[in-house]
Amino acid sequence: MGRLWWLLLLAVCAAVAAGCADDDNGGGGSDSESPTRLVVSAAASMTEALEQCGPEFGTAETADVKMSFAGSDELAAQIRQGAKVDVYAAANTRLPDDLHADGLLGTPVEFATNEFVLAVTKDSEIDSVEDLTMEGTTMVIGSESVPIGSYTRETLAKLPPDQEKAILANVRSNEPDVKGIVGKLTQGAADAGFVYVTDVNATNGELRAIKLPAELGPQVTYGAGVVSKSEQQALGQRFVDGLTDGACADALEEAGFGPAP
Amino acid sequence: MLSIQAHTTLGSMRLDVELAVAPGECLALAGPSGAGKTSALRVAAGLLRPAEGRVEANGETWLDTTRGIDVPADRRRCGYVFQDYALFPHLSACQNVAYPLRGLSRHERRSRALGLLERFGLAARAEARPGTLSGGERQRVALARALARGPEVLLLDEPLSALDARTRAGAARELAAVLRESDAPALLVTHDFAEAAQLGDRVGIIDHGEVVQEGTASELAAAPSSAFVADFTGAVVLTGTASRGPDGLTHVELDGGGTVTTTDDGDGAVAVSVYPWEIAIEPAGVQPHGSTQNHLTAEVLSITTIGNRVRLGLGGPQPLAAEITLASAERLQLEPGARVTATWKAAATRLVAA
Amino acid sequence: MRGGWFGVLLFLCLAAALLFLTLPIAAIFVDSSPGELIDSLGEQGALDALWLSLRTTAAAIVIILLVGTPAAYLLATRSFRGKALVVTLIELPLVLPPAVAGIGLLAAVGPSGILGGTLDAAGIELSLTTAGVVVALTFVASPFYVRQAMAAFAAVDRSLLDASRTLGASEARGFLRVMIPVAVPGLAAGTALALGRALGEFGATLMFAGSFQGITQTVPLAIYDRFSTDFAAALALSAVLVAVSGAILLSVKLVQGGAALGGWQAD
Repeated sequence: MGRLWWLLLLAVCAAVAAGCADDDNGGGGSDSESPTRLVVSAAASMTEALEQCGPEFGTAETADVKMSFAGSDELAAQIRQGAKVDVYAAANTRLPDDLHADGLLGTPVEFATNEFVLAVTKDSEIDSVEDLTMEGTTMVIGSESVPIGSYTRETLAKLPPDQEKAILANVRSNEPDVKGIVGKLTQGAADAGFVYVTDVNATNGELRAIKLPAELGPQVTYGAGVVSKSEQQALGQRFVDGLTDGACADALEEAGFGPAP
Repeated sequence: MLSIQAHTTLGSMRLDVELAVAPGECLALAGPSGAGKTSALRVAAGLLRPAEGRVEANGETWLDTTRGIDVPADRRRCGYVFQDYALFPHLSACQNVAYPLRGLSRHERRSRALGLLERFGLAARAEARPGTLSGGERQRVALARALARGPEVLLLDEPLSALDARTRAGAARELAAVLRESDAPALLVTHDFAEAAQLGDRVGIIDHGEVVQEGTASELAAAPSSAFVADFTGAVVLTGTASRGPDGLTHVELDGGGTVTTTDDGDGAVAVSVYPWEIAIEPAGVQPHGSTQNHLTAEVLSITTIGNRVRLGLGGPQPLAAEITLASAERLQLEPGARVTATWKAAATRLVAA
Repeated sequence: MRGGWFGVLLFLCLAAALLFLTLPIAAIFVDSSPGELIDSLGEQGALDALWLSLRTTAAAIVIILLVGTPAAYLLATRSFRGKALVVTLIELPLVLPPAVAGIGLLAAVGPSGILGGTLDAAGIELSLTTAGVVVALTFVASPFYVRQAMAAFAAVDRSLLDASRTLGASEARGFLRVMIPVAVPGLAAGTALALGRALGEFGATLMFAGSFQGITQTVPLAIYDRFSTDFAAALALSAVLVAVSGAILLSVKLVQGGAALGGWQAD
């Protein structure tokens, strides 16, 4: 009976250790023989593209690449709080610039552009931004602090004030990231929302993208950099470079991102 | 008049009972645990539905499985006293007693409940919660609550068993008085034959779901129909008045004549009990000898043979029962009508509830 | 010390648990000044979030109590074929991650869900509305209450109910006047659990009802919205939520204590 208790205790410790460990490659090794780890925080809009090329980069570099996707503002906040992130890739240049200014990020690089579009369900009757002013249209946009949300408000501010007001009055939810907006649209909970064209592409036809007039659309430039406190400066820089020219750059292009400006 | 017929299977046990209780009468059902006593009560109350059965109370049919009649428990006017009293813990004693009183104004309910509590000597505890009442007080509240709306039938489940020996004496007296006063037929169950004898006008011995013998307590004690009944009926109970004697013993003047001595301490109105198998029989007229202190002359009324034993029903001012070996009975040539002396020890004599 | 090494071990475990559990809560209050906290709370968005959380949680609790109490009573006092399955189904949301709960709600009563068309035809809108928030909260919080209520009812001495019936009270009357009052401590505990769960609900609400100030942005959603840009505001809202939760727990203890002292007047 005593033997059984010790076995149980051992099993419990092993379970706890396994639970705390990070992934299928085992917990982070501290000696040089086990694979190095690279933690990448990237904007939610890049989920589909980077999920492919991230592991590829890892295999090529014999590194273990861990990706986490969320609203760029949330990721920046985590870095400010001291999260152990190596690379930061955001859906705008302001957030990386701010981090750089505070000494938390290396010099940011503009690596891609995206198109800011109006997304509607595939059989929607909405054709233009003006249609959004109609009463009864349900809109879902990003919250103020997330890039997609600030782009949206920037764009709407360029409209005549009464149009802007009417559209904002139709907003029913301020989502923390693009995925939330897309989700509401595909569920049929809302009629329209502002997202990136890459997000619409990722829905495989469920949603339709309506391009905005050139003077209306914001310049959506994505910026990335290596976190100053990262121990993988060289590896991280190679990843960032790969976003402009490499496997990840190709993946981004395929998903619909534009090339670096 | 309460009549109960129930034939059903409960788990691994059968219940086959047929009972009838006259108005104003109390039938005490006595038997060991698991004999089916509580089940019989529950059938009467409507808390248990037998596969086959009939329950009639004062002309009203409460249950008739052949005709599909089953009056729900809340529409049968039973006064049921539960073994653990089942007092509502969140209501005061007064509110408990008032619970069954419906269709009256709040004021009336309260005054009726208070009146009942007063009758049971609990007026001072009317606002107390059951948790703060003593065992004896709770038993009285439970009784008052059961009587509150003048039930058609009284059902009592081991009404004294949760009380300590000391409280039990007084409680038994009170309960006996209540039963005497009440017109309703009462069915009482207990595992204690002495209790059944004291409270019941008639006693039924129940075992394995069946009533094996029914009659007055002395009939059962004197002429048990089986060894089981013989063993179960246990003690003989005699009533009298006690006083402490100079010899350190208690002397009891029996009602109707005769004296017995007991080593127990007591005073005033008491009952004494002794087991039939502790009573020895001598032919009448023999001088007392030996250490036994108690001697009563009696006439042999009945002789019942149970295996190698014999139960003698003895008549005197109060009925007695003695148990001796068949061999001895034959040797003494005992026959109904013979006069004998019943003799037993003071040390074997117990003082019990009067 | 009493107990030797075993006693020390017990003490250490308790100390560790206490530290682990209280540190984050204490940090919320320590990390910013009371002045900052009060300022952030004065902001309209925070006030809206607080009021919305209270309203929606209260509505959810009322529904849960009205529907859940009789349901729990049935489960606790009757047995029937398939009862174990029914109980498991009711308890299921307990072990569902909030995200899964959100998906489930969308799939059931979302605009594209099974009942979506029916609700639409009836003119009932749940997605992106306050009603939707109440639905989400009710869904995730009800098992917490029903489970406790079941246990509380099951623990009530059966003979009390029998007594009530023999005294002429119908089952309904017995339920109201005996069962519930006697089970109050357990019911209060269940309500507290459900309240806490509903107040803190985030994932299912966000997915099903969205996040909009004054309509669907409850306190947890507001905290999430603010934490990357205005950490002080997030702290302030968190502090309020902690205080409210603490108050709820305290009042439950009081109710239970009161009940233990001898119940409350039910007449």
